[in-house]
Amino acid sequence: MTTTNDVPARPGVQVGSASEFTLFFTVLPGHAQALRDALRDLQNSPGYRPGDYEVPIASIHEARFVLFDDDTRLLFATSFDGPWDAYMEDFAAKPLQLFAAIFEHVEGFHGLPDVAAVKSFILGAQVSAAAYARNYPGTVKEHRRALRLAAAFQQVLDDPRAEEALSHPALKPLLDEASVA
Amino acid sequence: MTTGDDVTLDLDDIQSGALRERPSPYVGRYLLLRLDDVAQGRELVRRLHALLEDQRSASPSATRAWLTVAFTYEGLKALGVPPSSLDSFPREFREGMAARAQELGDVGESGPERWEPPLGSPDVHVAVSVLAPDPPALEAVAERARSRYADLASVAVVWRQDCYQLPSGRTSFGFKDGIGNPDIEGSGLVPRNSRERPIKAGEFILGYPDETGSLAPMPIPDVLGRNGTYLVFRKLHTNVAAYRRYLRDRARDRQEERLLAAKMVGRWPSGAPLALAPDRDEPSLGADPHRNNDFAYGDDPGGFKCPAGAHSRRANPRDSLESELTTDTRLHRMVRRGTSYGPQLPDDVLDDDGADRGIIFVFAGAHLKRQFEFVKTQWLNDGIFIGAPAERDPLVGAHQQPTDFTMARRPIRRRLRDVPPFVVTRGGEYCFAPGLRALRWLGELDT
Ligand code: HEM
Repeated sequence: MTTTNDVPARPGVQVGSASEFTLFFTVLPGHAQALRDALRDLQNSPGYRPGDYEVPIASIHEARFVLFDDDTRLLFATSFDGPWDAYMEDFAAKPLQLFAAIFEHVEGFHGLPDVAAVKSFILGAQVSAAAYARNYPGTVKEHRRALRLAAAFQQVLDDPRAEEALSHPALKPLLDEASVA
Repeated sequence: MTTGDDVTLDLDDIQSGALRERPSPYVGRYLLLRLDDVAQGRELVRRLHALLEDQRSASPSATRAWLTVAFTYEGLKALGVPPSSLDSFPREFREGMAARAQELGDVGESGPERWEPPLGSPDVHVAVSVLAPDPPALEAVAERARSRYADLASVAVVWRQDCYQLPSGRTSFGFKDGIGNPDIEGSGLVPRNSRERPIKAGEFILGYPDETGSLAPMPIPDVLGRNGTYLVFRKLHTNVAAYRRYLRDRARDRQEERLLAAKMVGRWPSGAPLALAPDRDEPSLGADPHRNNDFAYGDDPGGFKCPAGAHSRRANPRDSLESELTTDTRLHRMVRRGTSYGPQLPDDVLDDDGADRGIIFVFAGAHLKRQFEFVKTQWLNDGIFIGAPAERDPLVGAHQQPTDFTMARRPIRRRLRDVPPFVVTRGGEYCFAPGLRALRWLGELDT
């Protein structure tokens, strides 16, 4: 049995609630085209099509796969709500299987015997960013809520009675936003 | 990966504390021992092992008390366990709870430098807990245990804590505790939650397949790890007067006070879950073991009945996170065996009487990190997972600064501001409770 007792924690760089999660893999010889095809299929599947905004993994802000070095290497880069290392076994249980069609074309994925092996597969690929910055705080959940709220506010503003309604003192913070919203 | 649907648990070898429910009500005692001599330490282990063997062979109805024996990492060292074996324990266990304080939120008033001695120090080697249905039975077993170490001059009792469970099952904040425990595959106990498949035994006992299909990392040799479980105990002081006063100040009337308190816990004082009884307490529901844990949150994603930030829902979100794919809640469960300590603050008293009261929190599981530490750090001490990063568990969260607590409500959500911390960590330890054969192995070491 593999033991991962001593794998040091490398939670990635965290800014606010999100941490960057960056993995570098080596593409199996002869698998470049199959991997490109798998990535295209992913891109065309519901949730991943540009504009779908419904990536099944609810706690990532965005994610990208990049083939580089003449398709011999694969980068996976994302921003994750929370310290991703705490979720390693969870990744092994679900999301990793979701991406199995992609990862089966990189070194080390095939025949992973147990969760300890999956952990070392991920840790072996992870590199912490040397610099990482974000342009907004908050989690994916808060953003979705904020966007819903912004859309509702626009609806209010489009109503001709909005000005009168928003002049109630309790609504002053909203009125302050209303002129430019 | 292996699947283990038909596991047979070696129930005779597993210490009863992990899987067996306890008598209720009960009284109990925790003892911590220091071993100053390897040979006498091993002699103690052999004698405790004999006691546990007696306990095992007694018929369940004749059993008048329950003894559990566990060791800290320092304790295993003091017994002369070989280095290769010591090194095979998980990092968290080897470091011990005090070393994890920063991570766990045990800082400030809860920091190890302020813990009750000798908690968190290298002097804690063996933890013994004795539970019995009444004080005479407790004294009888405690005396039997004492007679096993009284003549061992190099075995010192370094800490002692009496505890109890009230007939109502309620602890110091006034809520029934010890209800939400997982159904475990192969335990032989009747499942209590029809909304959830029983959890694999390997999540709680070493040597069996767990929810990932693998075996939890086990210390070597095999005989030492098999049928063992990790125990976490924490002495948690509860500031009951401050808690009551806070609720009194925020509520319009006594009825709202009771509702706010229930929203913080996720259950009513009787134990009735908000998920099944959203508007008022239902004592018959709280008292019914076949109904009081038979629920999920799927019909209440917004938290109108039970807030997403309530203690119980944080500590076990059940199906709340199912659609998110990030988290498999089955990987973050625990068996809890908490008890009360200290006198209860009489009803309606709002001023602190200076007494030390609270709970001895006890966790049993196969993974310190992804069970106890994960729940404590990601779910209780943080709010990222519910999209409220600034909020902590309103009842037990480790916050130095006051936190907010939000309750979904129509037409407008209710938010409690400036919830102060109500719980202070007085100390604790990470322990390993070996199976009976492993205990014998420890007692017979001859390194
Ligand atoms: C003084 C501190 C604490 C108090 C007063 C307290 C109190 C309670 C109460 C009243 C319940 C509801 C009854 C029940 O389901 O049994 C509960 C449930 C629970 N608590 Fe705590 N608790 C404390 C600390 C903790 C800590 C530190 C953890 C974990 C690290 C924890 C984990 C849980 C879990 C897992 C449940 C069951 C949730 C479920 O399955 O629905 N508690 N607690």
